[in-house]
Amino acid sequence: MNMVLLSVDGVECRYGSVKILENVSLSVKEGDFVGILGPNGSGKTTLLKSISRTLKPHKGTILLDKTDIYSMKSVDLAKHMATVPQESNIGFSFTALDIVLMGRNPHMKRFQMESEKDMAIVRKAMSRTNTWHLADRPINELSGGEKQRVVIARALAQEPRVLLLDEPLTHLDMINQLEIMDLVKGLCRTERLIVLTVIHDLNLAARYCNSALLLKDRKVFAVGTLDEVLTSKNIKSVFQVDALVKKNMITNSLYIIPLSPEKPSVPRNCSIHIICGAGTGTLVMKALVDEGYEVTAGVLNMLDTDYETSELLKIPTVNEAPFSPITEQTKQANLKMISKAAIVVVTSVPFGYGNLSNLESALEAVKRGIRTYVIDEVPIESRDFTGGKATALMADLKKQGAIFIKHPSELPTLVNATHDLIELRKRGQAEIPGHMKNVDKPVVQPVGGKESH
Amino acid sequence: MTDKVESKYSKRSSRWKLILLLLIVALVVAIIFCLNIGFAPISFSDILTILGKQIPILNRSINSSAVSTVNETIILQIRLPRVLAGALVGAGLAAAGVMYQGVFRNPMADSYLLGASAGASFGYTLAAIYAGSLALNFFGFGIFQIVAFVGAVLTVFLVYFMSRVGNKVPIATLLLSGIVVNIFILALQTVFELRSGKALIGIVAWIAGGFTNITWTNIYAVFPFVLIGTVLAYFFTKDLNMLAMGDDTAQHLGVNTERVRQIMLLTGSLITGAVVSISGVIGFVGLIIPHMTRLVIGPDHRILLPTSAIVGGIFLMLCDSLARIATGASELPVGVITALAGTPFFIYLLRKRKTIYSL
Repeated sequence: MNMVLLSVDGVECRYGSVKILENVSLSVKEGDFVGILGPNGSGKTTLLKSISRTLKPHKGTILLDKTDIYSMKSVDLAKHMATVPQESNIGFSFTALDIVLMGRNPHMKRFQMESEKDMAIVRKAMSRTNTWHLADRPINELSGGEKQRVVIARALAQEPRVLLLDEPLTHLDMINQLEIMDLVKGLCRTERLIVLTVIHDLNLAARYCNSALLLKDRKVFAVGTLDEVLTSKNIKSVFQVDALVKKNMITNSLYIIPLSPEKPSVPRNCSIHIICGAGTGTLVMKALVDEGYEVTAGVLNMLDTDYETSELLKIPTVNEAPFSPITEQTKQANLKMISKAAIVVVTSVPFGYGNLSNLESALEAVKRGIRTYVIDEVPIESRDFTGGKATALMADLKKQGAIFIKHPSELPTLVNATHDLIELRKRGQAEIPGHMKNVDKPVVQPVGGKESH
Repeated sequence: MTDKVESKYSKRSSRWKLILLLLIVALVVAIIFCLNIGFAPISFSDILTILGKQIPILNRSINSSAVSTVNETIILQIRLPRVLAGALVGAGLAAAGVMYQGVFRNPMADSYLLGASAGASFGYTLAAIYAGSLALNFFGFGIFQIVAFVGAVLTVFLVYFMSRVGNKVPIATLLLSGIVVNIFILALQTVFELRSGKALIGIVAWIAGGFTNITWTNIYAVFPFVLIGTVLAYFFTKDLNMLAMGDDTAQHLGVNTERVRQIMLLTGSLITGAVVSISGVIGFVGLIIPHMTRLVIGPDHRILLPTSAIVGGIFLMLCDSLARIATGASELPVGVITALAGTPFFIYLLRKRKTIYSL
């Protein structure tokens, strides 16, 4: 069997004098499923257009099995290469079957009607894309997903060696996306098709492609296997997004968790320590990081949701082994971290014997005069698994001057106010203006833990 | 259900042949019907006898002694050329309409919109003013026809090359330049007409369109254009189907889009130029007949092109017959009839089938 090879060499495209693609090289062999990735305007579609012979490159060559595709007749190229456009805007109301039969055109003579063999190929293509039942329907009556599957069937009816897809999933829902990608992946494996797809969803790319080309500013930024291309670092430099790249245990593929685009938040020279766990601290950590605070957290058990968040947000933490009670040693480490903080926040975490010492640490913080906020979203009685010890500590906290608030959303405002007060004191203002004395306290002091939800 | 779909498609070819056969029969019937229309009452049996006499071999068994020579002259020299001209012009306009609409994927695309009629009218006006007495004859075309033909073809090409960007012709640009050139040429024509102050009535009548002065020579001159043009276009009907998917997709399916577009445009303009030169400007047929036909038989150009041509022929022929008798002594311009007769029918079809008719 001949090895089909598509090689793009030093391709440069221009619109007028504006370069829209520079020096792109890529070599793809049969069975490869290549994702063309990159932000909007990075040249993905341009590259696909030049490979599909729609936009002739200004420089460079595109070879299919050593033949320059621009020296081939379009009908000959169509026997080897099929393209699924981003959107199919079909002028007249052809039926789905008409559309797919057009895929046979490159293999037919000018006056030939479709033969039984053509019909068999078309039927197979339509069964594969689950569109045979739509054969009789006018294409313009079909839904976006159905239409796209019909167009893919047409591409398959061409019996191509190379399949180009330009954002094939744009208007599709989740099940359609997965079905189409599964189908294409299957073709890649069984028919040794070369597939190149422009795709925006990095997770779908990570799941289905076996290699990737990452474009940035109309140039190749990275090319290679997914592990090589889809790194946090590459994603950060190309998309300006912090993302965590992990391995999904179920699909055995990489998955990418993008975080919000980096906000140019003003860094505040102020440290806040959060006592949380079981996911109760996630929102608080993110909100305070966004506000520009230096956030720390602990003690957290490894593998805890809040622990994962702290990793994502690169927050320093004091950790305990998974599923283990907090030891005295870790508690001391945590107190040390707390002593550097200007503010401590205790979230509505459930307390058991394993993490009760976190509450003792909070009490310690209040006693040391650190402004401490307690988010009392869930009444302590319902999350006290220590036979009342946690509830007692909570009452102590209140007595000692910790401020209780009802909802995490109140926190940023209060924390900012506290921060401002601290700043004022630092600058040596002896007297805090009267109207500012209580700005870091909630307007209505909730009756801690007495109401029920 | 699936097997039904397959057998429906395998029978498609024979269904198409049947449709064409029926339409050809309808065309012949319509021709005979139209020959019967006129002030001199000539019976159908006389008409059949006169026509039969013209067919070699068959004429030996036909006894024509009962038919007067006057009637024979009326049928063969007056009515038949006129009826055939109607069929020919209608077929040509409808076929060109199919080509333009297919190439430009646009329901408004029409040889007139691209400037063919304006160019032809302007050419005719120039000829009427400056060269009216020139007794030129070129393969059956007189000076008026030649100039109108050249005007039509040149204008369409001017519009085409004006809207060319790089090696592509964006459809929106093309239609816009068509509109602009139309207006410009109309203005030029007005200037020339007013400055000359003569031959105005002739020009107005010609522009309104009609078949009053048709001779066999005209038919012989135009027939090759319509026939060869339509046959040539038939070679590209599959490409037209794929062009409906958009240029890029058509290209990916192996169509040399720009070449097909140029050939279709050239062919359509030649046909339009030829028929306009003998009939004057008859609107509506090239725009509406392909639409109507598409609504009934579907969008596949392989059947759409020939059926539209025949339906266009029948339609214009009937309209012209109506024009001859509609108002007694003075004739109505046939363009008035085509619009009056075609529009309601078209609206009916559009309302009835609007769910599947999306453009």
